[in-house]
Amino acid sequence: MTKLLRPTTLVSILVVLLCVVMAFAPQLIAPGDPLAGTPRDRLLPPSAEHLFGTDSLGRDVFTRVVHGAWLSLAAATLAVGIGGLVGGAIGLLCGAARGRVGTAIDFVVMRFVDVLIAVPGILLALIVVATLGFGPWSIALGVGLGAAGSFARIMRAQVLRVRGEEYVEAAAVLGVRPLGVLSRHILPNAARPVLAMAALELGTAVLSVSAISFLGFGVAPPAPEWGSLVSAGRDYIATSWWLTVLPGAVIVGVVLAVTRLARVIGESR
Amino acid sequence: MNDNILEVSDLQVRYRVGRRRIEAVRGIDLAVPRGGIVALVGESGSGKSSVSQALIRRLAGNGEIAAGRVVFDGQDLLKLPMKRMRAIRGGSIGFVPQDPNSSLNPTLRIGEQLVEGLRLHLKLGREEATERAVRILGDVGLSHPEARARQYPHELSGGMKQRVLIGMAWSCEPQLVIADEPTSALDVTVQRLVLDQMQQLAADRGTAVLMVTHDLGVAADRAEQVVVMRHGQVVDAGPTAAVLHAPTHEYTRDLVAAAPGLNSVRLTASAAPVATEASHPILEIRELRKTFTLRRPGAAPEPFTAVDGVSLAVPAGRTVALVGESGSGKTTTARMAARIETPDSGSVLLDGQDVTTLRGEALRQLRRDVQVVYQNPFGSLDPRMSVAQIIAEPLRAFGLGGRREQLTEAKRLLDAVQLAEGLADRRPAELSGGQRQRVAIARALALSPKLLVLDEPVSALDVSVQQQVLQLLVDLQAERGVGYLFITHDFGVVRQIADEVVVMRQGRVVEQGPAERLLSAPEHEYTRALLEAVPGTAAR
Amino acid sequence: MTRAGTALRLVAPKVLQFAFVVWATYTVTFLLVRVLPGDPVLAALAVQSGDATTVDPEQLAALREQAGLDGSLLEQYLSQLGALLTGDLGTSLATGRTVVDMIAGVVPGSLAVAGLALVIGVLTSVVLAFLASIAPWRWLRDLLVQLPPLGVAVPAFVTGLILISVFSFSLGLLPASGSRSGDSVILPAITLAFPVGAIFFQVFITAIREAEASGYVFTAEAKGLGRAAVFGRHVLRNALLPSVTSIGLLIGYLAGGTAVVETVFSREGIGRLVVSAVLARDVSVIQGVIIVVAVVYALAALLVDLSYPLIDPRLRPGKAAPKPAAASTFSIVPEADALTSATTDPKNGAAK
Repeated sequence: MTKLLRPTTLVSILVVLLCVVMAFAPQLIAPGDPLAGTPRDRLLPPSAEHLFGTDSLGRDVFTRVVHGAWLSLAAATLAVGIGGLVGGAIGLLCGAARGRVGTAIDFVVMRFVDVLIAVPGILLALIVVATLGFGPWSIALGVGLGAAGSFARIMRAQVLRVRGEEYVEAAAVLGVRPLGVLSRHILPNAARPVLAMAALELGTAVLSVSAISFLGFGVAPPAPEWGSLVSAGRDYIATSWWLTVLPGAVIVGVVLAVTRLARVIGESR
Repeated sequence: MNDNILEVSDLQVRYRVGRRRIEAVRGIDLAVPRGGIVALVGESGSGKSSVSQALIRRLAGNGEIAAGRVVFDGQDLLKLPMKRMRAIRGGSIGFVPQDPNSSLNPTLRIGEQLVEGLRLHLKLGREEATERAVRILGDVGLSHPEARARQYPHELSGGMKQRVLIGMAWSCEPQLVIADEPTSALDVTVQRLVLDQMQQLAADRGTAVLMVTHDLGVAADRAEQVVVMRHGQVVDAGPTAAVLHAPTHEYTRDLVAAAPGLNSVRLTASAAPVATEASHPILEIRELRKTFTLRRPGAAPEPFTAVDGVSLAVPAGRTVALVGESGSGKTTTARMAARIETPDSGSVLLDGQDVTTLRGEALRQLRRDVQVVYQNPFGSLDPRMSVAQIIAEPLRAFGLGGRREQLTEAKRLLDAVQLAEGLADRRPAELSGGQRQRVAIARALALSPKLLVLDEPVSALDVSVQQQVLQLLVDLQAERGVGYLFITHDFGVVRQIADEVVVMRQGRVVEQGPAERLLSAPEHEYTRALLEAVPGTAAR
Repeated sequence: MTRAGTALRLVAPKVLQFAFVVWATYTVTFLLVRVLPGDPVLAALAVQSGDATTVDPEQLAALREQAGLDGSLLEQYLSQLGALLTGDLGTSLATGRTVVDMIAGVVPGSLAVAGLALVIGVLTSVVLAFLASIAPWRWLRDLLVQLPPLGVAVPAFVTGLILISVFSFSLGLLPASGSRSGDSVILPAITLAFPVGAIFFQVFITAIREAEASGYVFTAEAKGLGRAAVFGRHVLRNALLPSVTSIGLLIGYLAGGTAVVETVFSREGIGRLVVSAVLARDVSVIQGVIIVVAVVYALAALLVDLSYPLIDPRLRPGKAAPKPAAASTFSIVPEADALTSATTDPKNGAAK
C-alpha cells in the first residue's frame, strides 16, 4: 500500500482520473464549445481567460484539448483491448500447449508473432487504415493488431515462467487436475506482468494514435483530437508556440502517468 | 605495531530498504592475529557477510557503514580515501567470494582476470604478469595451467573456478585474505580439497585468514579462533577448542548440538512408533534408467545417462537416504520414483503394484499414496495462496470434504507440524524458511500418503532449524508409519535420520546397506571419501 | 566434425529464419489487406478520380490485373509470392510505377536520418550510462538513470516541431525542412534519436545494473580496480549482449518513426512515401515498404545473432582446448543438484 502513496504515483493516479473525467464529462472541466470560435480572438497566447491560448479560428485550445480526450483515449484504450484480448489468448494457448502436444504449433504461431513485433506498429496501423478507411476506429484496430504481438509474447513468456515454477509442478504432484493447475496457479501468477504490460501499451497506444492522427488519417476536422490539434498548430509554429507545445505537453503528461502506473503495477509484490 | 593484522571495533552496518533502516551489524569487535586463521560463524541473517564486505568497504548499493573502526596493519581503513582503499583491496587484502560460478567475469579469459590485479598492484608488465598468472594457476593445483589461463570461466568446473579465485586472492602476496563462505556452493569432496588448498597457502605464505562460514564443521576443522555472530552481534568468541568443543554460551551450545557434521546421532521419535511390518517394502524400484539429451550451441546433441540401472526398496515406515554429490543422479532417481519423470526402462512398484507407466487419471490417483517435499521452501508454495489454502489443496483436488471440513483438517495438519493456527491466513512470503518447509510437509501429509519423497528438504535451512524439521519428520513417521525416500548430499543429515543408506555416483549405486553398518564401516572407497570429507570430522 | 560442417550448422538455421520472416511478413500483410473489408483498387480509384460515382468496369479490370489483384485469393497470393521471390513488389495503384523503383528512389534519405539517429541515440545512452555509473553523488546517479527513459513519452511530432521552432526559426542555425542540403539531416535525426535513445537506454541501463550487482563485479572491485576499469572491462562487456539484441527492435522503431519525422520536416523518404500512399489508399506501396522493412529487420537480427559468439564466449562452439574429465560436464547436466537448479547456497543471506 505504501507504494501507492509515493508522490509520483499519487500524481499519476490523479492524472489518470482527470483523463477519465475529460473523456466522459468534458463539460465539467471545460464548459465551452470546442467547435465555436471568435474570429476576433484568433491566435491569442495563453492567459487566464484562455489557459492554452486560442487557435487560428479563435477557438479556445484548452476546451478543444479537453473535448478531444474522448477520441484519443477511447481509441487508445480500444487498441489495447483488442491487442490484449487477441495477443493474450494466443500467448496463453501457446504457453499452455508447449511441451505437451503443441510444441510445433507454438513454434509456428510464435514466429508469426515475431513478425507482428518486427513490423513497426505504426506501419501496420497505416496499412489497416489504408485498407479500411480513415478514422479513429480503424486506427484503433491497426494499433491494436500491432500491440497483439507484444501481448502474445509476454503472455506466453509468463505462462512458461510460471509453468517452470516449482509450485506448479508441486500442484500437479499433489494431484491437482491440469485445468485446475492452469486456473488456480498459472493464470493468477502470470497476470500481474501482463497487466503492467497493458498499462505500458496504453501509453504507447496514446502515442501511436496521436501520431497517426497527426499525419491526418484520424478524425475529420473540425472535431478535436490530440494528434490533429498538434498538426493544426504546425503552420503557426514560428509565431504561436502554444498551439503545438501545450497539446503536446498534455500527451506527454498522460503517457508519463500511465507509464509510471505500469511500473507500480509491475514491481509491487 | 602489534600482533593483530586486523582489529575491528564497534563496527556497525545498516541497509536502507525503502524508508526503513535495517541494522545488519550492531557494533562488533573482532581481531585477526598475523598469520592466524579466524572463523566468523553465524546463521543466515546474522550479519556475517555484511562484516566481510564492510571490511573492504564494498557493501551492496543500499548499505552503509554507520560507525566503527577497522584497523588494518595500523591504519583505520574507514578513514582512508577511496584511492588508497583500492590499493589495499586486492593488494594487501585478498578476497575469496562465495559463489565461484558467478564470481568470475564470463567474457574474459581466466589469465586476463588474474593479470589485472598483478599489473595494478605489483606493477608488472603484461608478459611478466601473464607468466606469473600461469604460475599461480599451477600453485593452486590446476593441471595444464597455460591452457587454463587461456580458457573462459564456463569451461571450468565450480571447484576449479574457486581455485582460480583463491589464486587471485593470494596473487599479490596479501597480508590478509577474507573468505566469504568460500566452499558453500561446492560438493563436500571438492570443498575439502579447496579448503586444504587455502590452508596450505595461508601456512606457506604466512597469510592471515578471516573465514566467514555458516558451517561449524568447517570452522572446527580449519580455524584457530572462532567468533560466533547472531543478529548482528558477537555472542561468543575465543580459541576454537574452547568455543566449539566445550561451548559455554547457550546459543553456541545449541548451534554445536544441531550441527550435523560435529556430533550427529540418529534422532529418536518423541513418542513410541506405530507398529509396521518392516519387512514389507512400500516402494521398490528395479533397474531404473534415464537418459537425457545434452544440447550445446554448435555441437551435436549428446546423450547423457543420468541414472543407469538403479534398484532400491523403501520399507514401510522406514527412511531410506539416497546420498550423492551433484550430478550423481539421485534427484532424477527420486523424480522417477515419485513418477514425476518416466523412466526409459526399469520399473517402479508401489505396495507391490507396478506404477511405472501410469498416466492421466490413474497417475493422479497415485498421488493419494505418494507425495513429494521439495528442497526449496521458497519455490514450492504458490506465493498468492494462504497457508490454509496451500495445505487444503490436495483435499480440494480429490474432493475430500466440504470447504469447512477442509479448513478444519488444514488447521489440524498445521498443529501436527507444530505451527500455530494463527498462521493459516498468512502468505508464504510472510513465513520463515523453516515454517514454509513445515507447511510443505503438512501439505504432503494431507492425503495420508504411504510414501514421502523428500528432495533435500533441509539443505536450504539453517542448522538449528534443520534439526527441528528433521525431528518433526522423525516424529511424524513414528505417528503415521509413512515411508521416506530421503534425498540428501549431507552425511551429517544421513546420520540423523536414515535407517538405510544408498550411495550414488555418476548414475549408479556405489554401495547400499543399513545405516549403522554403512556409516561406521563403509566398504566402498567413494563412500569412505565422502564420509571423511564431512566438515567437522577432523575435529571429532 | 569439420569446420565447414560446424559453420553450416550455425548459419543454416539463421538463414532459414531470415527467409521465414520475409515470407511471414508477406503473408500477414496479404491477409490484413484481403481480410479487412474494403476493395483496395476501388478505394484507390475513388481517391484518384476525386469522387467515384461511376467506375469503368474495363478500367477496373485492367487496373486489377496490373496490380496483380485479379483471380482468386489463392492465385493472387501465389502469383505475388512468386513475384516477391524475384524481387518484384508489384505496381503502385496510384502512380503506375513499380513499388521497387519508388522505394529505391527514397531509401538513401531515410537511411541517412535513421542511421544518424541510431548513432546519436546509442552513443548518448552509453555516455549517460557511463556517467551514471561513475557519478560521485547518489542524487546525480539517480537523475541520470531516471531522466532519459522519459524520452519515450514525448511524441516525435512534438519534439520535431519544438526543435524547428528553436533551431530554425529562433536561432536560424539549421534548415526546417527539405532534404537537399547536408545539414538538413541533423534536426530529423535528433528528433528520432530521442525515443530511440530512450528505448536503448532502458535496456542498456538495466543490463548495466544487473552486471554491477553481479559477483564478478564484486570480485573486480575486491581486486582493487578503479571505477572506470570496472566499467570498461567488466560491466560494459557483459551488458553488451542484451543491448545488442535490442538494436533489432530499434530498427523497426526507426522505420516507423520516419513516417512522422519526414512529414514534420517535409523530407523525401520512406516515411513520406508511406504517408502519401495511405492518402492515395495505395495499399501495394505500403505492403512493399513493410516487406522491405522486415527484410532490413531480419538482416539486422541475423547480424546480431552472428555477433553473439563474438561478445559472449559461452555461446561459441566448443573448440579443442584440453578438457580434463572434471571440467564442466557436471554443471550442464539437467539436474544441477536438486529438483530445482539452486546451486548457490541460500544460507548465506546477509540482511537484504
